[in-house]
Formats: sequence, C-alpha cells, structure tokens
Amino acid sequence: MRRSLVLLGIVLRKEVLDGLRDRRSIVSVVVPLAFIPLMVFYSFEQVADRLERVREITVPVVGAEHARPLIDWLGMQPGVEIEPGPGNPRSAVREGAAELVLVVPDDFAENFARSKTAGVEIVVDGSEEDAERAAGRLRSLIAAYSQGIASRRLIVRGVSPEVVLPVQVEMVDLETEQQRAAKALVFLPMLLVMIVFVGGLQIGIDSTAGERERGSLERLLVNPVPRFSILGGKWLASVAFSWASVVLTATLLLVLLERSTIWEIGLRLENGPQVVASMVLVVLPLALLATAVQMGVATLARSYKEAQSYVSFLMLVPVLPMALMMNSPADYALWKVFVPVLGQYALINELVKENSLALIPLLIASAVAVVGATAILLVTARLFRSEKIVFGR
Amino acid sequence: MIEVRSLGKRFGDVVAVEDVSFVADNGSVTALLGPNGAGKTTTLRALYGLIQPDAGHALVDGIDVASNLMKVHSRLGVLPESRGVYPRLTAREHLRYFARLHGLRGREAESRCSELLNLLDMEEIADRRCKGFSHGERTKVALASSLVHGPQNVILDEPTNGLDVMSTRAIRGLIRQLRAEGRCVVFSSHVMQEVAAVCNWIVIVASGCVVAKGTPADLLSTTGMDSLEDAFVALTGTRGGPL
Repeated sequence: MRRSLVLLGIVLRKEVLDGLRDRRSIVSVVVPLAFIPLMVFYSFEQVADRLERVREITVPVVGAEHARPLIDWLGMQPGVEIEPGPGNPRSAVREGAAELVLVVPDDFAENFARSKTAGVEIVVDGSEEDAERAAGRLRSLIAAYSQGIASRRLIVRGVSPEVVLPVQVEMVDLETEQQRAAKALVFLPMLLVMIVFVGGLQIGIDSTAGERERGSLERLLVNPVPRFSILGGKWLASVAFSWASVVLTATLLLVLLERSTIWEIGLRLENGPQVVASMVLVVLPLALLATAVQMGVATLARSYKEAQSYVSFLMLVPVLPMALMMNSPADYALWKVFVPVLGQYALINELVKENSLALIPLLIASAVAVVGATAILLVTARLFRSEKIVFGR
Repeated sequence: MIEVRSLGKRFGDVVAVEDVSFVADNGSVTALLGPNGAGKTTTLRALYGLIQPDAGHALVDGIDVASNLMKVHSRLGVLPESRGVYPRLTAREHLRYFARLHGLRGREAESRCSELLNLLDMEEIADRRCKGFSHGERTKVALASSLVHGPQNVILDEPTNGLDVMSTRAIRGLIRQLRAEGRCVVFSSHVMQEVAAVCNWIVIVASGCVVAKGTPADLLSTTGMDSLEDAFVALTGTRGGPL
C-alpha cells in the first residue's frame, strides 16, 4: 500500500509538471480568473448603484414658494435633496435633463389654507425604471406628509384620526442587510461550480485520452505500477488544477469585494473572507467528483477530439439545474444535499443567507462527492486493464 | 529468461496468434521474425501482459505473466510498438520518471539516466523538451526509458524500424551489450539484415504460427538455402516477403 502511494506521488508530480508546461492547462485555470471576477465586480456595482439611487433622490421643484412647509419638510427627510426646478418640467424630463420634477401649482397655498385637497404633480417618465422608483419614494413621502396634516386637522375638529384610518398597513421587512447583500451574490454558486469543472478539464483529458493518442500509454503501463497509482496520480493532478483555479478565483473575488462600493452604502457581508472561504470549502470536494467523471469520460472516448467534445457536454451539468429551476434553483432542501452540484448550490445559497455553514449537510454533500469519485475511479482503473481502451478501438 | 507456451489470441473473428511457443534464454538475442500481420506485436503484448491471451501462457524468469504482472514488469524492459513520448518533458526527465517508477531514486537514478543517455549518444538532446523530436530521437528516448532500471529481460518491438544508419548502429550496439551482460533479449523484426546482424536464435512466425526456429545456421541447413532471406521466403511460403 505504501509503495502504491509513493508511486502515485511520482505520477502526480510528473503530471503536474507536465500540466504546468501545457499552455492549454494553464489557460483553463487562468481564463476564468481573468474575466469572471470582472463580471462579479460589474454585478456588484450595479446592485450597489441601484440601491444607492433609491435611497438618495434629487427633487427639482417648480413653484416651491406655494408650498413652503411641504418642501421644507421634504428637504429634511434623509437622502432627499431639493433643488430649483426647470422652466419647462415636461420637456426637461422628456429630454432626460431631470429624472423627475415636482410641480406645485399656483392654487396650492389657497386650497391648502382652506383645508381643501391641494394637488401637486410629479412629472416622470415611467419607462425609466430608476426614475419610476425615485418617484415612488417621493410619492410615499408626500403621502406621509399628507396624512400627518390630515390627522392634525381632525384633532383640531375634535375627531380622532383613527376614524378615517380604518385599516393601517405596516410593512414588517425581515430582510436584513446581510440578505440584501446576498442578493448580489446569487450568481456565485454557479460561477464557482463552473470553475470547478473548468480548472482540471484540460489536464484531465490530456493525461488520459491525450496520453493514449500520443502513444505513450503503452510505455507507461509496462512498468511495475498498479493501475490505481497511475490513475490516482493523474486524477489528483487534475484535482490540483481544479482546486488551484477555485482558490485563485476566490482570492481575487475577495479583493474585488473589498474594493466594491457595496461597502460604502452599508450593504456589507460582515465577514466576507469567512463567507468566501466557506464557499470554497463547499465546492472543493465537488472537484474530486467532477475531475473523476471527466477522466472517466475521456478514457472511454476513442480519441482526444472525441474526449474534448464529450467533456464539453459535461459543462452543461453546472448550468442545467439553473436553467431547469428558474425560480429557486438554489433553495435549500435536505434531499438536494445528496445530489452533486445541486447540493453545492443549496449549501452556498444557505450559507450566503444564513451566514453560517451547517456542518452535517456539508459533510453529507462532500461524502457523496468522495464516494462518487472513488466509484468512478475504480471503474476507470478497470477500463485501463481493457485491451480495447489501452490500444484504442 | 522468457518462455511462451502455446499462445493463442483472437480479436473477434480474426485470429491474430494461433499457436506460438518459444524459449528465449539469458545471454541470447532471440528474434521474432515474420511478415507484417504475422502476429509478432500481439505475441509481444501478451508477453508483457497488456493483452490477455485466449490460450496458453507466458513466463518471465519462471513467473506467470497472467498471475503476477507487477513482478514480471519489474523484471522487464519493454520498447512497445508505439514510440510516444511526453512532448513537454525533456529526454532526461523521461528517464528520471521511469527510473522512479521502478523504485530508483536520488543519485542512483541520476547516474543511471546519464549512463543511458551517454550509451545511446543522446547527450545533446538530453535536456531538450521532446516536442519536435525526430522519429529516431523519440525511439531513443523510449528505448532508454525502458532500460533505465537495468532489466534482466528486454522486449523490443521492431527497435530499428524507420531509423537512420547511425541510430540503427547505436541500437545494435546496445543489443549486443545487453547480450554480453547475460540478459535475455527478445525483439521482433521483419528486416533480415537486422536479424542476421545481432541475433543468435530465430523464431519465424507466419499467420500466427511458429513455422521454424533455430540458429541462423540451423535455418539455412534445414531449408537448404544460401541466405537467410531465401530461407525466410521458403519457410513463410506464399504469404509475402520479409521486406
């Protein structure tokens, strides 16, 4: 047994050296590293940007002098900035010079003073999502102001304000900052799982189908080395590349998170490094299985080219659950933990939401990956005893 | 010592080897001579255990190939038909890899590598990556890799096939040296000069059967021919010439 492991180590070392010198193996590790975190960065910036815009609105006001108390009250609300309105509100909004404009008509003061309903206009282009959202906020602010005035008028007349408020709605929003931040991370499970699949792909094909196609496999198999050691060494080399890819990407992700403006608006993952490290912990065991499957498939293929196209099909595996379950692909359910890939999605999602990793489900999902990988490796090792596989068909 | 007893192997309906038996002694060079498709490569593959024969068996130093492959492999040096090398490793790294797989390590492995690189006249290419090596250079890398552990038994599948004069000479020299060291060498060939130049025992195979065996002199006297080539044609019948 000890000798088998030593031999496994020798094969592993050779394959890693070989892989490090293979431009394609390096590319499959580095490419996701280069552009996927950029995607992360972009998506974070977008989420942050949108949240920021909802909170902070700039309100150009036309006719502010007709409703001084209202405008002053608005100006005191957090995140609201009042500015003088444009001469022609409609064209200003249409041309995009202003997102929205609050127009106070001339008769506002008079109606208000006589306790009549005084109207104001919010001019907005409803097709602009951000403007629409800002207008919504402005409208609810004005409604709150209006309700306050109404209550006072009723009290003055000796009527309880509750008479005109038969039903009061109060929103109890349980979403925490943490969870809001998590929304920006929904794409992460698929991202990490895909990297798991990509990282060791090239070296996995090259050391199996490639070795046979180059005609060096026969030479390798006539040495006193158990098939287990040969295959195990090749497999671990592939795993090492996959892991390296995941760890490098996660590191880059952390650096990007630190720099993202998402921090500045108070939307933060309190323990970013821990969350990302836990995610890595969730997907690393999956690499054992993914690389084993890739190598098994590559071994069965008749040629290098065939191996490449079969293994490319395997890339659908991380995407498929997302495509099939549009709404809640990653929602946690215990049964999912027993299904590779799906289980990792669920665990990461749960981790991001709850900010902690449940140990038992993690162990189950990892055990499933290890057992699956072992089974596939045993089958593949048997394949390496077959004449048809060794000498091609 | 290598022994093959009534070996038979078929692939589907095609009989590759019908009945092959021979003994290759230590300190002797045994040639498996036969036309293309006679079953030489299949016989050798069964001998080094990558093909399971349907009938008969092979023994290396008295050990059954089918029952103890690891032990057999540690006593064998094999140059298979395919001369593939790892394009991103240097010649020396190849030798080092196979030396380690045979349990050699450290200085012992290094000196063994240098010795073989020297013996096959490969010092110039020793530290170059194998990508772009010529057929001859690749054969030398593969051959050196199979001998790096100093095996008692050596199996070479058409060792000089497609090589130039200088490489061929180097390999013949090596085969003679192996014989002088008392090792058992079995090689397959369809090239008559090759066989005449280095071997002292010939097994002629045609259509999966042994049709004759003996020293070159034996074969000449049994067939009554003047040259080995004529003897070969006479023995293999109408199935085609050796070249």
